Amino acid sequence: MTPLEILAAAVHGAPAPRIPIFCHLLDQGARELGLSQKQYFSSGEYVAEGQLKLRKRFGHDNVWSLFYVGKDAEFFGCKEILYSDDGSPTVADFIIKGWDDIEKLVVPDDITAHPAWEETGKCLSILKQEVGDTHPICAYLTASTTLPSLLMGMDQWMELLLMGPKDLRDELLQKCSEFLQKKIAAVRAAGANVLVYTTPFGTTRFVGKKRFESFSMPWMKRDLEPGGVDGVVYYCGMEAFNDVIEPVMNELKIGVYYISPLADLTEAKTIIGNKGVTCGVIDDIKMITWTPEETRAEVKRLCDIGKPGEHFLFGTGVMPLAIPEANIKAMLAAAFEYGSYP
Amino acid sequence: MLRSIIKAYNEAVYETDKEAAFKIVEEAMKQGITAEEVVFDVVIPAIEEMMSMIIHDPDANLAQHFMTAQIATEVTEKMLTRFKQSPKIVGTVVMGTASGDLHSLGKRIVMGCLKAMMVSVVDLGVNVKPDTFVNEAVRFNAQVIGISAMMVHTATGEHGCRRVREILKERGLEPRIKLVVGGAPYRFDESMYRTVGADGWAPDGVTAAKVIIDLIGEVRQHDAT
Repeated sequence: MTPLEILAAAVHGAPAPRIPIFCHLLDQGARELGLSQKQYFSSGEYVAEGQLKLRKRFGHDNVWSLFYVGKDAEFFGCKEILYSDDGSPTVADFIIKGWDDIEKLVVPDDITAHPAWEETGKCLSILKQEVGDTHPICAYLTASTTLPSLLMGMDQWMELLLMGPKDLRDELLQKCSEFLQKKIAAVRAAGANVLVYTTPFGTTRFVGKKRFESFSMPWMKRDLEPGGVDGVVYYCGMEAFNDVIEPVMNELKIGVYYISPLADLTEAKTIIGNKGVTCGVIDDIKMITWTPEETRAEVKRLCDIGKPGEHFLFGTGVMPLAIPEANIKAMLAAAFEYGSYP
Repeated sequence: MLRSIIKAYNEAVYETDKEAAFKIVEEAMKQGITAEEVVFDVVIPAIEEMMSMIIHDPDANLAQHFMTAQIATEVTEKMLTRFKQSPKIVGTVVMGTASGDLHSLGKRIVMGCLKAMMVSVVDLGVNVKPDTFVNEAVRFNAQVIGISAMMVHTATGEHGCRRVREILKERGLEPRIKLVVGGAPYRFDESMYRTVGADGWAPDGVTAAKVIIDLIGEVRQHDAT
């Protein structure tokens, strides 16, 4: 079976030789090609080549079309990204400097015609051509409730959200949601088949239960309903969200849940059962200092919890660059070993 | 009466309702509560209650932390103009985000709580170089340096807390200046703060204020002996 077929088997609960094994090696691509982060992320060809080389070397199932999270801000005019050779690039100049700027914000009519799409489009085209029929190609979707933090900074966004005028807040969210809907269509058309929908506002730890129901849920519905949830993964930026799995399943019909290492995986697996896929996610920040043996033991623990009953996937967080390569290899070897079905 | 004011104020903060919180303070002052009592008997206990709530209430959330800090800062700033005499400052802290990091939400929450708790806070902004942290701490005679980092490489890298610790050591400042870190990466590895050379950490902005105040106390005690 191909990794794509193994993923489909996990979704449908069909027989497969093993669980799907996802590993998110994003910043490692530059090192793999011997480039600086700035050089690497300047080209879709480099990012695709980096992803394909890393997948081939480590043997995990998926590749990524994500450059860096802040790239979405470039569609709205952001021109300044802060690069670091130690980690992920970040937005260095927020495009919304005052609330008046919200009105001026323009969502491109056709985002695939925007210069910010060009390299992502190239990357997806190469990935689709090389592994599109056999491997999951992941795309990253920043939810409308979270995209404002890339445009104005999280503290300014929280201020507008909690204390600002509702009409202005909604105007910004509408623009962000419209952009996201266009992005979903664009990445799907270009070959992405796993869409990681991301929002810390999809947890009660961020906004509390009341605001989750009255604010986050309606905007998530608005983001996802037009394109449907085929291939969509619910991910809250490594925050725990067990307490909202049921409402998200019932109202959004998302099928795959990326469970935080801070959450109780056993509880999540019980809630999700065979109605969706539970992703057991390793705490890859601890992998910076763990030994390969400790890494293996944690993979085994996750697989022991998640594998019974199938509908299970092994995954990582953001895989910091500081993780020793021996630990990445130990993690993946253990995932293949403990993730195999008899 | 004070108890019912505290309760009503806390409820408003819990509901993240800034207008209601301000209204309660105004009503209290009309009833004869002094500006000093508002700060020391209402605002500060409310922050302390939020600290306890974060530990015990599973639904305590970031929006509440943000509003706790925001409301506390605004009320305190307003009340300070009506104080009969300047309040005694608990200590001084310099705060910023680590070099290469531009995420300022956590810093803003911590600073808001500290200001309301009568700690003098010097905001160094974002993307702060290690030597700037130390130079400014010396300049303002601060007892604590606070470094916020939201990304793994800015939390653990050579240009963040680790380097600040080295500079403190090189300049013989360690007994005089304590080092505190906060931010998402530290929540995933609770021993990370020690690895990067910090004296303390907190999982959220509100309890960070308590950690910082405790460390100010340690430095003050050391200075006194």
